[in-house]
Amino acid sequence: MLKNYIKLALKVMLRKKYYTILSLAGIGFTIMIITVFATFIDQVIGENSAEPERNRTLILDKVSVYNQGKKEDGFPSIHFLKKYVSDLESTEVISFITNKSYISFSKGKPTGHYLVYTDEHFWEITDFEFLEGRSFNRKEVENGDRVLIINKRTREHFFGDQAATGKELRVYGEKFKVIGVVTSGAAFSRVNADMILPYSMDKNLQGLEGPIQGSYSAMLLARSDNPKQVRSELRAKMRLLTNKISGADSLKAYAFTPLEQFAKSSSFTDQEPEYGKTAISFFIILLLFMLIPAISLINLNLSRIGERAEEIGVRKSFGATSATLVGQLVVENVILTLVGGIIGLALAAYATGLLVHIINTFDPLFKMPADSFIINWRVLALSIFSCLVFGLLSGVYPAWKMSKLNPVYALKGGQNHD
Amino acid sequence: MIQLINIEKIYRTKTIETIALNKVNLQINKGEFVAIMGPSGCGKSTLLNIIGLLDSPTAGSISIDGQEVSSFSNRKLAAFRNFKLGFIFQSFHLINDLSVLDNVELPLLYRSGVSGAERKKKALEALEKVGLSTRTKHYPSQLSGGQRQRVAIARAIVGSPEVILADEPTGNLDSVMGEEVMNIMLELNKTDGTTIIMVTHDDNMANKTERIIRFFDGQQVN
Ligand SMILES: Nc1ncnc2c1ncn2[C@@H]1O[C@H](COP(=O)(O)OP(=O)(O)OP(=O)(O)O)[C@@H](O)[C@H]1O
Ligand SMILES: [Mg+2]
Repeated sequence: MLKNYIKLALKVMLRKKYYTILSLAGIGFTIMIITVFATFIDQVIGENSAEPERNRTLILDKVSVYNQGKKEDGFPSIHFLKKYVSDLESTEVISFITNKSYISFSKGKPTGHYLVYTDEHFWEITDFEFLEGRSFNRKEVENGDRVLIINKRTREHFFGDQAATGKELRVYGEKFKVIGVVTSGAAFSRVNADMILPYSMDKNLQGLEGPIQGSYSAMLLARSDNPKQVRSELRAKMRLLTNKISGADSLKAYAFTPLEQFAKSSSFTDQEPEYGKTAISFFIILLLFMLIPAISLINLNLSRIGERAEEIGVRKSFGATSATLVGQLVVENVILTLVGGIIGLALAAYATGLLVHIINTFDPLFKMPADSFIINWRVLALSIFSCLVFGLLSGVYPAWKMSKLNPVYALKGGQNHD
Repeated sequence: MIQLINIEKIYRTKTIETIALNKVNLQINKGEFVAIMGPSGCGKSTLLNIIGLLDSPTAGSISIDGQEVSSFSNRKLAAFRNFKLGFIFQSFHLINDLSVLDNVELPLLYRSGVSGAERKKKALEALEKVGLSTRTKHYPSQLSGGQRQRVAIARAIVGSPEVILADEPTGNLDSVMGEEVMNIMLELNKTDGTTIIMVTHDDNMANKTERIIRFFDGQQVN
């Protein structure tokens, strides 16, 4: 049965070229946008080769300090993290890392680089591929050695196609020795920096870092796949600090995986996040976005009822039930949308490249790598899922309407209903 | 085989009421070849559609094979049409997007448990019977009127129905092709014992059948 439906669907598509092209264009464009959007989100939350453990890596990047009825939110300070968060039992490794800071070198043409300070554990949580050299170790961090790791595009910028290891670079007026070169990570990820330095070289350490709040975050690699355990240990630890630190009656620390951070409904609680609302609103946005093209396709399908009335009449005469007809017509429509979806994916692959190009044109300092948006299997799954939803959304009503045609009228080419 | 009791069909619109069938009582036996005749608008097609379970009467009862069908659900009516009835229309009503073979296989698609190979085999047999086994890959638009109607006959008989309902099957054909189509139906009636009910305006065709039922203004007149 299904094979026949598919066969017929393809035949109908080939014969009704105008209709097919019109529908495919609409569907293709819709799926393209969804796919491009999905590649962007995937960058922010998905695992990638540099961050293979993202789903059990919690980012602690917010601390609320409650003091005399007032609440103040901010990044934790390195002192706070070292003192209270460095020995969680539920975590395997903890790494401290600054936010990206922007540093501009001019050497002929304008270019900008992102710089982060971190510790040796950074290299345990991430899995950057080293093109040359090595990472820095504990000793170098403790000693405050002037070493740094750069990524590929930074190497290209400063050294062309030559090796960089052993060479020197000036950062904020001080000389550093390049000891390693890594590939780039996901463009929007916090670990994707152009220059990675030991945090002992961070000048802010003297200035901005207070006893509780400052400019650091912690990456906590959970022992199990369940980030809840880390959070509950963290909450317990924060409770113990109540009234123990001057200037803070009580404290809350927030740690979530990138996916949780994206998916949770509220950012104002350190409790277990709820995903229901976000999932629903995400789905609703997806639906709303597909609604207008879907309505157009519904209209197009409805306008073809007359054209297909004879066929419906014949099928009914020879024993097709309304249900089978709905099945046939919906399958036809889903196949149409799947073909449109494939076109949309191809367009998306092109569009993501174009998008990078445009971003780089408007912001020459940023120089995003061309493969910043990747259509991986997760994105693919979302696109195909959207296609199916689109196919059902636009197919069910016209199919139902067609299946209700009275066969006698339908065979006369009319459109009256039962 | 087919029994109609007091069948009435009234078409009502806002302004007019047309009595298309007026208290029709009719019995058609298994294996009969019946011609229905009468002037245009007398209700022949309406009658055929009601017997074919494509339309329901305003009043009266129909039984086919001893089963009263007016209480049947839509699903059951569809199954009944699929297993017991085969239609042939004046304007062929083939599906243009499908090949001859696919057109003929169509009724078997709606029968569960018929494999693709079996469908094909039966469709080829039916096409053999109407002398078109060499045209299976053609599309309807590539065939002559007579050939199209023969494809339609193959489609009507592929599921071995007990009754064939033909509404002016030769109406759109010239006399030679009409003759051919008629001969095929006569052969079906004789060898397979298929009951055939045929609406026609053509006396020559009607005279070849066993019984002529004449209608006038929604009523049987003989
Ligand atoms: N859908 C309808 N709505 C209103 N009246 C209808 C409808 N269908 C048929 N009629 C009327 O019912 C009567 C019988 O029509 P029917 O089609 O059965 O005639 P017929 O005998 O088949 O005619 P012909 O030989 O021209 O095909 C006609 O008066 C026709 O106008
Ligand atoms: Mg008629």
